[in-house]
Amino acid sequence: MENVLLLLHPATGGLATLAALWVFVDTLNAGEASLARIRNISIACAFLMWLTYFLGGYWYVNFYGADKALIKAGPWAFGHNFFMEVKEHVFLMLLLLATYLPIASSNNLHINKAARKVVLWTAGLIVPTSLAMEGSGAVISIAVKIALLLKGQGG
Amino acid sequence: MEHNEIGKYTRSFGLSFAITSVISALLVILKESNEETILAWMKVATGHHWVTHGLFNIILFSALGWALSRPNNGQGVKISANVLVICIASAVILSDLLIAGFYA
Repeated sequence: MENVLLLLHPATGGLATLAALWVFVDTLNAGEASLARIRNISIACAFLMWLTYFLGGYWYVNFYGADKALIKAGPWAFGHNFFMEVKEHVFLMLLLLATYLPIASSNNLHINKAARKVVLWTAGLIVPTSLAMEGSGAVISIAVKIALLLKGQGG
Repeated sequence: MEHNEIGKYTRSFGLSFAITSVISALLVILKESNEETILAWMKVATGHHWVTHGLFNIILFSALGWALSRPNNGQGVKISANVLVICIASAVILSDLLIAGFYA
């Protein structure tokens, strides 16, 4: 169960990142025909980010304790002490930013340059922040792997 | 014809995001620096400090977004798109720096 959650969490996060990137690119050339699509993908981005939050949050609250102990006892303790601590708290901000995206996209973007600017910045900030979350998750996974390998070797 | 007026909820919730984001980063420092009091209370409140933190953020974001849409006879807070974008981007950068700097 927990391993499935651990796979789904970065998968939905990755899809949310792609959705934000889609919104960014589509907004660059927003027209009347693309308005509904931009709004729908913005909603999809927010939905996927909330799904990522619930999947990752459930795993973090219920299953992370054992991994945390392993990481902190291993050579890559920074995997928890820095990367997980930063990830779990920056994500809370990212969740709100993704929630805000459909609100910003609700304007008539095809005839409103100011509104397009707000959407471009919002989507443009979601993408690198999400990628940093994915990267942090990779570091945390490697920290667990290294700790387990050393433990298996009796180190 | 091009318009340059952004919707009141875009303004109010954008500003709400910026404020909530920075307060959330400050709460990280506050709770981690006061493990026996604030962090302990946040753990007791929901069973996990992170869950309490998330709930606090969501409630603050929603309440501030609604409140900032009320001024000026319901027209919402007056702020240009440029200033709003600066607030949002600055809040993201400042929050990231505060959180990463604290744990570094």
